[in-house]
Amino acid sequence: MAGKSGATPATYSPSLTTSDKKKKPPLFNEDWVRPDGRAFQQCRPAFFRTGAVNAASGSAYAEFGNTKVIVSVFGPRESKKAMMYSDIGRLNCNVSFTTFATPVRGQGSDHKEYSAMLHKALEGAIILETFPKTTVDVFALVLESSGSELPVIISCASLALADAGIMMYDLVASVSVSCFSKNLVIDPISEEENNQDGSLMITCMPSRYEITQLTVTGEWSTPKINEGMQLCLDACGKLAKIMRSCLKEAASDSQE
Amino acid sequence: MGLRNASEDLSSEMEVDAFRRLFPLRYLERHLAESIRPDGRPLVKARETSIFLGAVASANGSALVKIGSTTMLTAIKMEVMTPSLESPDEGCLAIDFHMPPICSPIVRPGRPAEASPVVSKQLSDTISSSKMIDLKELSLVSGKAAWMAYLDIYCLDADGALFDAALLSAVAALSHLQIPAVAVNDDGKIVLVSDEDGQKQAQEPVNKEKRKLTLRSIPFSLTCILHKNYILADPTAEEESIMETHVTIVLDTSGQLISLYKPGGSVLAYTSAVQDCVALTRQRVKELKSFLDKENSAMEIE
Repeated sequence: MAGKSGATPATYSPSLTTSDKKKKPPLFNEDWVRPDGRAFQQCRPAFFRTGAVNAASGSAYAEFGNTKVIVSVFGPRESKKAMMYSDIGRLNCNVSFTTFATPVRGQGSDHKEYSAMLHKALEGAIILETFPKTTVDVFALVLESSGSELPVIISCASLALADAGIMMYDLVASVSVSCFSKNLVIDPISEEENNQDGSLMITCMPSRYEITQLTVTGEWSTPKINEGMQLCLDACGKLAKIMRSCLKEAASDSQE
Repeated sequence: MGLRNASEDLSSEMEVDAFRRLFPLRYLERHLAESIRPDGRPLVKARETSIFLGAVASANGSALVKIGSTTMLTAIKMEVMTPSLESPDEGCLAIDFHMPPICSPIVRPGRPAEASPVVSKQLSDTISSSKMIDLKELSLVSGKAAWMAYLDIYCLDADGALFDAALLSAVAALSHLQIPAVAVNDDGKIVLVSDEDGQKQAQEPVNKEKRKLTLRSIPFSLTCILHKNYILADPTAEEESIMETHVTIVLDTSGQLISLYKPGGSVLAYTSAVQDCVALTRQRVKELKSFLDKENSAMEIE
């Protein structure tokens, strides 16, 4: 078999020795501690910066722990030739991963599901009427992923849109929680996401208290959903404050 | 740029901008006649360059390089492969250059940029012909297992001189690369050895401790634009789009010529112009080598 695949030999990344693997995944019980030592309702430290890519009309870089994302916004520019006439503007979203984003080397291809989700999350917040006949492109690249990529991409994208001067009703902030039987864990890392019983993600415009996207998967009880939603909304409010201060900083820097 | 002059007369500002867009070549030539470039650089000066090693935590080696606005992120991941029959004690280095849609307005998703396969090929040719790394060092068990080093370069911001930045980030990542300690387990598979339990296991260690590759001579490059009367070093994307004749010269640290690339163009390269470009590259190589050495010694102190 090895001889057949001359140009691209089949490769594997060496795993840890078997004795290490036998350590069971942590039991998510009462006295369980999160792998990175955070409290259950504590988000990872968030870092945002606008203007990461000079070639774009607007861009932003976001870093939540080891999840690192760059979003570039291009346009408003001419729509594709095949597009029909449209009174309002179009939004085009694309999310892709680098080959080294995941611990095991991947293909680095486009992520269709995240692209569609990003589009739906932003659509409601952008005032499409302000750029008729044209298209705004929002492209995201996940440099490194260690959990909760989609919420980070969405928040980062709204910051990049603001940086590009695209009119929006409000900034869009997004946060997810994972559910482990009785416990709710905010802003989960990959290890937690792989073991979760259910997950909930909210994308909202905090100053208007409006939700643009809500996804719930897995096992949830109604009171838990309420609790999880409240948790996410509070966190989104705080996240939006950080994003706003990042924009203000960039604006005051450029004035000097 | 516009904001800085916001207080000044706006109308004159507009005229300059219009002139720049309508007559890009004349706009540039007016600058060149004054021996200065639109971004304020002298003609033969490269842009500010920075190297940051270890940018990707999950990779075995990585580097982030900026030349002006052009930004490249490179990560190396080591995987295990069965070496080919022709070269049983050699590993492999696979270089891939990616231009994701975030880096430039001309790249659209689903349609890869024309430049990316060209730069990919140029990079692998340059690195293999420079004999920078000995593929035998990547061997693990002769005929059974060897390292496959996947070197992926992502262009995060494209503003000219892509090859120069990509090559610099590739060699920087290779200088940062640490080959992990591994052993062969009972099934003949290669497994990682962690520092704590490495001793007590009856596995046969193949690569006892983390090590770095020996880099023999490191290639560095400089791209210049040729104009009838001028040579411009390290062009920006705007300059590249206006004047299409460019020359890329790769030299190694001992000053040996590794490659010279002049893909056509309307301006012919006379011997003197090529010699001038080589001289410029020689200076630039010294500069880049000192940048890289400084970063590497800073890493060792940590």
